[in-house]
Order: sequence, then C-alpha cells, then structure tokens
Amino acid sequence: MNIGRRRWVFAAGCVPLVSTGTEPAFTSRDQFSVLNTGASVANVRIAVLYAGRAEVGPFRLGVAPRRVRQVRVNDLIFPVAVRLGEPYGLIFDSDVAVVVQCTRQDTGRPLGAGAMTNAWPLRCRA
Amino acid sequence: MADTWRNWSGSVAFRPAVFAEPDCEDALASLLRETHRRGGTVRCVGAGHSASRILRCDDTLVSMKHLSGVIAVDRARCEATVRAGTELETLGEDLYEHDLALPNYGDVATQTIGGAIGTGTHGTGPAQQNLSQMMVGARMVLADGRILEIGRDDDDLLRAARVAMGTLGALSTVTLRLVPAFDVERREYATSTDATLANLDALNADNRSFDFYWYPRRDDIKLRLVNAVGGGTRRLPYARELTRQEGYGHKVIPTHSGIPHRFEECEYALPAAAGPACFREIQQRIIRCWRHVVGWRVLYRTVAADDADLSPAHGRETVTISLHQNHRLPWRAFFADIEPVFLAFEGRPHWGKKHRLRADALAPRYPRWRQFHRVRDRLDPHGTFLTPHLRRLLGITGP
Repeated sequence: MNIGRRRWVFAAGCVPLVSTGTEPAFTSRDQFSVLNTGASVANVRIAVLYAGRAEVGPFRLGVAPRRVRQVRVNDLIFPVAVRLGEPYGLIFDSDVAVVVQCTRQDTGRPLGAGAMTNAWPLRCRA
Repeated sequence: MADTWRNWSGSVAFRPAVFAEPDCEDALASLLRETHRRGGTVRCVGAGHSASRILRCDDTLVSMKHLSGVIAVDRARCEATVRAGTELETLGEDLYEHDLALPNYGDVATQTIGGAIGTGTHGTGPAQQNLSQMMVGARMVLADGRILEIGRDDDDLLRAARVAMGTLGALSTVTLRLVPAFDVERREYATSTDATLANLDALNADNRSFDFYWYPRRDDIKLRLVNAVGGGTRRLPYARELTRQEGYGHKVIPTHSGIPHRFEECEYALPAAAGPACFREIQQRIIRCWRHVVGWRVLYRTVAADDADLSPAHGRETVTISLHQNHRLPWRAFFADIEPVFLAFEGRPHWGKKHRLRADALAPRYPRWRQFHRVRDRLDPHGTFLTPHLRRLLGITGP
C-alpha cells in the first residue's frame, strides 16, 4: 500500500553558497528524500520555481518499490542546473503516492547547523 | 537566402545566402569554382557539433553529409580512404567490418571525419594523438575547383592540412592510418579531488586512456579508465567503482553521442606538466565565483604531442581542460573569467569550441604559424575559404 500523496510542494528552498569542511560530505546543500512505500516504481517529476526567473524542469526521478531515494538539489543539473544562492520552490508530481521530506545542511560557518523543513502534501484528484 | 543554420548547441546561428549539399566530388568542385569565380566565400560544414564561429558564413555554406562512406581499405597497411563527410559513428561500424578501427575517439562520435581532422578533435590518453594525425593523405578541392592530391610524403602540406579549419580547401576524401579492431574495458569510479590529484601520474602512466570529470557542485570526481580488457590500473583503494563495460572501441570509447542536454564548451590545451596546477586554480575559482550557476562538469584529458602546424598539441605533451555550461545558463562571462587562467599556463584554445583569442594572441602560441600561412596563401590566394571571423582569427588582412 502506498503511503503519502502524489503531489508535494516545498517553498523555502535556497541552497547556501558557502561551504566549509571536506566536500562532498560537508557541502552546503538542500536535499530531498522521496519514500516509496508501494509495490511499483514511483516516477517523480520535479519543477523548480524561482523568485525572479522562469521555472526549470521537469527533473525526472525514479524511486524503486519499497525504497527511499535522497537527492541533493545541488545535483539537479539536467536539463539545467538549479541556481544556488537563490530562493526557489519545488513541486513534486508522482504517479503513485510517496512521502517527500526536504532538509538543508548549511556549513557556511564553522559551527553551522543543519535545519530541517518538511515539504507539504497536496491532495490530488485521481 | 537559405534557411537559418544552427550548430548543435544553438549558439551559432546564421542565414547563408546559399546552402548546398553536393553528392559527389565533381558537384563540390563545381560549387567551389562558381563561388570563387564571383569572388564569394564558402565554408564546409560537417556535423555542426563545433560551437565556435569558424563555421559562420553569410555566403555559401556547404554540407558534406552526402559525401560519406568508405571508398577503399588496405587491411595489410591498416589504412582506409573515406569520404570526408562520413560520421565517426558510422565510420567505426564500417571499419569494423574490415577488422580495422580508429585508434581513438572523443566523448562523442557524431562529428564527421573531415570536421574532426579540421578542428583537432581528440580523445584522451598520453600516447593518443588527436584525430587529425590519422590523416596520411587526402584529396582536397581547391577554391578554383582543381583537385589537390596530398600524399604521405607531402610533409608541409600534411602539417598544414591536418588542423586547418577548412581554410585551405575542402577535403573530399581522406586516407587514414588505422589500427586493427580492438576491444576494451571501460571502468568508471567515484573519488575525491585530492585522491585523484595524488594519483594522477600513476593513472596517466598505467592506462591507455584516462580522464576525469570534476563536479563543481560536490567537489568530487569521476575517473574514467579505458584499457585492453584486464589491463590498466586494477587497484584503486581510494575510489568506488561505478560502472564496468566491455566492447569494441567504437562502441565503448565514445560515451555521450546523442546526449540530449545541450551545452557550450570552452577548452584549452596546456603543457602536460602544467595540467594539475591549472586545474587546481580553475577548481578554486569556480568554487569561489561560479558555483551558483555552474553545475556541469570540468573535463581533464591528455593528448600526445604532434607536429601539425595549428594543432593545440603541437610540439608538446598535452593536458586539455574543458569547461561545460548548460546552453540555457550564462556561459560567456564564465568562460571569459576562466580564460586568463588558461592563458597564464600557456594554453591554446580548441578551434571548435568557445574562446576569445585573435591572431595577435594566437600567433605566438604556434611555432609554425607562419609556415601554415605560407601554405594557406598558396592554396587559397583569393581567400575564398575565409570569412571575416576567420580573417580576424588568423590575422589575414590581404585578399
């Protein structure tokens, strides 16, 4: 049985530009996790909306059955690299219900801390 | 006027007065003769993969796509004569039927052999020269329609014609020095930048073809090794294996033919010894200044020295570093900001990619610049193959 929703949104995106520490472990980043609890592959399409420029995407992502997949927003470069240091939002559309969670790691200051933010599910008509 | 012509990435677009697709050498010769007679300008285009303006021509643009195919094969000498408009991918398949192969490929095999020779297209490997060095003979159609036969002993002509950007004449057929068909093993690994640079000399020495992609958004690296099956570096404790693939060279070496994501590219060739330091400087500059819009990778490769007059690898073992940028994101300012770093390390630009150099900056970087011009002036005295951009590039002010 699939847990979650087919559409999720995340409004508070902004990948921190500055990193400290060894990369890629300590690269400042926004990251999302997609949990697919169902028995079939989840085909997820992601649109990136900016504050001051046209949206980009779709970024295409498959999540295997009964798996979670974690992707850095920094690594979304096809079809076009997501801009870092700019406010953005994400719209996730999946063909099966999934659970999406977004996190941020900001290592810009030596004692910087990571902040976690949930994405919001939207109820879709079938 | 013909339709607007665009290169692969879309950043070079123009509308030639005439667009022609001759289907034989005679038709090509007639076209050139007519253009020459009226004092026009002509450029020949291959696959249009190049992103520099050497293609741009407001007068007559000639597609070579119908001048394609293998003409003759000499298996004993490992040579073949092929039409210049043959795409590398097709050529690899055709030569395989004769148990022959190109010694190397670039990352894509969509270019034509004539275009690859004319721009100094290359793959990677410390013993692998750029593709122009395969050419040991050619038939070239001159501006007045005459056919020039270039033989294997015509050293000055070959040196000039191997990386000539189509400025001497139109290559109709080329005779290539090949190798027996071979199979290879491609292995790719993920690792850190520090580990790669610490092992760079060994990786270069121990592998037929080695290169790496640096990912600016993660500051990590993908190593790519291509060797005879079972050969090359076997133990990489500092890296995680990602993929392994075996097959014939023409199937396994080019990995990105048909890539759907368009990009612009700027590449410089450097003295091999300067490669690591130059890379480090570029890496730091991208992290400091360009990471916000640059997500695509930087490619580090090696090329063996050659003696072609205008080859970026002329006279020196070479490292090439390529910047890639999505065609929809800012690339001019990015490339312009990094170019001074390349130049400080005695860089020579790839003729088929983005760069901003002109003759005054280029000439001192090529020891045989004048010899090339002597050949060019002799073969195309009226400048039929020269556009305004090429005149600025080569510093030609005369006819």
